[in-house]
Amino acid sequence: MSKNMWKLTAAACAMTVVFSATLPAAAQKLEDQVVIATTGGLMGNTLAKHFYEPFNKAKNVEVVPVAIEVPDQWARAKAMQRTGKIEFDIVTATGPDLVGRADMLEKIDCAKLPNVQKFGVSDACQPYGVARTTGGMLITYNTEAFKEKAPKNWADFWDVKQFPGPRGLPDTGDSDWWVPAAALLADGVKADQLFPLDLNRAYKKLDQIRPNVSVWWKTGDQVQQIMRSREVVMAMSYSGRALAVVKEGVPAALSWDQAIRDTGYMAILKGAPDVNAAMAYLDFFYANSEAHVPFMRAVNYATASKSAIELMKPEERNLYATSPENYEKLVKPDFAWIGENRNALRERWMAWLTR
Amino acid sequence: MKPVRSDFWHSDGHRLSGLSTLFLLAPFFAVIAFVFIYPIVQLLVISVTEPHPTLDNYARVVGNPVYARVLARTLWTATLVTALSVILGFPVAYYMSRARGAVAALVAVCVILPLWSSVLVRTAAWSILFQRNGLINSALMGLGLTSQPFKLLYTQSAVVIAMTHVLLPFMILPIYGALRSIPNDYTRAAAVLGATRWRTFIEVILPLSLPGVVSGSLLVFLTALGFFITPALLGSPQEMMVSTLVSQQIREVLDWPFAAALVGVLTLFVTLLAVIFSKTLRFDRLMGAAS
Repeated sequence: MSKNMWKLTAAACAMTVVFSATLPAAAQKLEDQVVIATTGGLMGNTLAKHFYEPFNKAKNVEVVPVAIEVPDQWARAKAMQRTGKIEFDIVTATGPDLVGRADMLEKIDCAKLPNVQKFGVSDACQPYGVARTTGGMLITYNTEAFKEKAPKNWADFWDVKQFPGPRGLPDTGDSDWWVPAAALLADGVKADQLFPLDLNRAYKKLDQIRPNVSVWWKTGDQVQQIMRSREVVMAMSYSGRALAVVKEGVPAALSWDQAIRDTGYMAILKGAPDVNAAMAYLDFFYANSEAHVPFMRAVNYATASKSAIELMKPEERNLYATSPENYEKLVKPDFAWIGENRNALRERWMAWLTR
Repeated sequence: MKPVRSDFWHSDGHRLSGLSTLFLLAPFFAVIAFVFIYPIVQLLVISVTEPHPTLDNYARVVGNPVYARVLARTLWTATLVTALSVILGFPVAYYMSRARGAVAALVAVCVILPLWSSVLVRTAAWSILFQRNGLINSALMGLGLTSQPFKLLYTQSAVVIAMTHVLLPFMILPIYGALRSIPNDYTRAAAVLGATRWRTFIEVILPLSLPGVVSGSLLVFLTALGFFITPALLGSPQEMMVSTLVSQQIREVLDWPFAAALVGVLTLFVTLLAVIFSKTLRFDRLMGAAS
């Protein structure tokens, strides 16, 4: 390439950058499809009904859903990166993923998502993801086992004298910080002083509860199942799963006290083939607050739409993490710290758990 | 019993030419090479080349007590399952080899039928039996044998019992094969020479059935080493086996090089065992039993 050609190309590139920055997002050409990877079943079907189909109608972009469990999704994404052929546009990420796996994700320009700014809660848009559903890791318990006094917080979870019976704790992707965090709260650490986690203290406290933990559950289905079959009297559970069990008619209840906030984010995979359509979808997700109400009712999780929660009656609102009453009680994790200390957290957890 | 002879292998006493043997084996090896050897080799390459050419991944497997513990536990569980299968399987195989007619058919069906249902189904059935409020606990409490339900599910015993159940046919069938090929004349000869039935069993039947026991044990042990579903569903993290660890490294931690190193170590174990066994006992005898 000659020197002049270089200059021309550089100029063209600069022009493109300037133009695309100044043009409004809507004017950018959208690809004709967007591939979204998330859990199937209830979540996938409800998303399709309230968001994928309306998005297709509004923007003429076809949503291709891929039903996949989150860990498998990351394994696939990793495989795609290794082979250089990226097939997913939007993936489902947890808070720590946005920090720890940021190198696999596309940076999101929040200024290009006006609806998220307008209708979402203040922290809905993060540098590498947009909040989709928020719940909490909370205590769910069998109401027949504890008729007189119900367990409320993690100190009660640890109190096997007052609340006897087998317990269930998670052993999934994020338990390496959920469970130590709950142990510290049980040990009397204030929620706002939780991070950085004092792991030595946490694991000392965990040794106390260990003989009473009969199930280390691996999936959301499993935690529902152990509550249903009464394999345990009390468990740490995803709030949505606990709510689903209650709705089934099982004598169970949940306590939002000291629940650990758990937000699922929509993130764009680095090198995704349909970036513009993906951005348009993220913005569209928050455009219609009314769609969020039936969506939340169906999946048992709250979205980060502040206008949607206002559409609900107070007693219904209380079932969700983002209601003003519950949101105050939630423990807000320090995702940056977790993301940075991921390896240490995981090694400690594995070593303790397999002992 | 008249020995069966296949004309194919013994045609006029000539062996097949090297080329035609190769030609016959080619399709099989092509499949194995493509779906087994190629991916395994690639995985092993990853284990020593990433993040940079190094043996660090292997050092971690051996050096970190967590992974060493999981490996040791895997070997121990596989050993337990193999021992239990021999103890439970031998009498069944012996009975099968002696039974005739409808009874023989019934026993054979009982042994083989479970092979047709998936491991997942059989494991799920055990988890229902073992539940805190499951069949076993309800029965024990109903009989007044205990007032508190036992913890059966998510224990080492649950894993070993269910794995033994799943793998038992692989033990019974080779032993049965070995026992069936022992000519009845031997037993009669022993009886004529004044041996009791017990002595006949110890000195004649048992030694001759050993190749079956060994090949059954090898099958069960090697399969048990790589078991995934049963320990994952019926065990707690304390029962974690290597394959669960590999899946965790691939799916949750995304540390493929380390997962590959784990696979490397497991492959090494399996290969070593296979080699040792084939050296000490000739493979043709293992597979075809006493000829």
